[in-house]
Amino acid sequence: MQNDGLPSVWVICAAFNEAATIARVVADLRRGGYDVVVVDDGSTDGTRHVAATVATAVITHPVNLGQGAALKTGIDYALSQGAEILVTFDADGQHRAEEIPRFLRALGHQRADFALGSRRLGQSRDMPFARRVFLVAATLFTVATTGLRLTDTHNGLRAFTRRGAVALSLRQNRMAHASEILADIANSGLHYIEVPVTVDYTAYSLAKGQRTGDFLMIVLDLFAKKLHR
Amino acid sequence: MIAQATLSLLLCCVLVYAWAEYRRSPAVALLSFVVSLVGLYFVWVPSHSTRVAEFIGVGRGADLILYLWVCISLIVLLNLHLKLRAQHELITALARTIALANVSSGGAKGVQWRSNEAPRIVSNEDRAETAGR
Repeated sequence: MQNDGLPSVWVICAAFNEAATIARVVADLRRGGYDVVVVDDGSTDGTRHVAATVATAVITHPVNLGQGAALKTGIDYALSQGAEILVTFDADGQHRAEEIPRFLRALGHQRADFALGSRRLGQSRDMPFARRVFLVAATLFTVATTGLRLTDTHNGLRAFTRRGAVALSLRQNRMAHASEILADIANSGLHYIEVPVTVDYTAYSLAKGQRTGDFLMIVLDLFAKKLHR
Repeated sequence: MIAQATLSLLLCCVLVYAWAEYRRSPAVALLSFVVSLVGLYFVWVPSHSTRVAEFIGVGRGADLILYLWVCISLIVLLNLHLKLRAQHELITALARTIALANVSSGGAKGVQWRSNEAPRIVSNEDRAETAGR
């Protein structure tokens, strides 16, 4: 939405078979006054039809490519629409739209180019033990490989300035993109900041989210990336 | 002598492969280059391989050569995996281009959503229609 004087904020929702939640998630975001682009990653449940009734734009991947690829598509589109601030937001309803202004303030006041959500600084409701162990392991791995000082490395709620978004390469199609974004942030040398977020774990978001075993794939993906340029 | 010649030939093939691969992925190429050179050396000086094999604890030198060959195969396999990966990146770029060429504006801006269908790759009928014109 082009509010005069305010930066143009685009929220990017990558959705794969999220017809059950996408309308509510996007409607919440629209109420906040943001432009929302939904990237339907080859869903088979009509996600794009549901999203089309509320989103500013819907982009459909002809085949399923993975969340990283969907975010990249959405970011490319938002940049082409002149977005000044880009926000990534999970489509499964675990984030809260009312927390976005906190990210915008963090970018504006702290002169940062990346604002990253952190569950450790905020709260998480009903996070299962296995998920907690996975997140700690992933955080340790990322801190060790990128040198960034972060408390949560796999949070889907993030905000970038235009300059920040351009610095992201996002070649990892699947889940390894979360670590890749952080590696790119470290390489860019731009300023980053963590913002506390509340994550609502529901049976639905847990079923949709990463499995703990995915961690192995993330490590493999990143290893392969180091070998092959 | 026949075994030595055969093995040498195979290892030379790997050397050629490594040389050809060098531009695409230097790490894989260098690794297979070194391994096959060591293999060649052991094929022609088996006594050394036996000594090394005894030192490592795998029994005979011939066993060592076999293990080396397995290693080379694995490296080739890994490289194939990486090639597949590169191909997947190509598919991603292609799919993204198609998706971005077919963006639907949602109802939110008051713009009617144009189509209820997924963006389609140009079908054969479309192509025939264009050709007929």
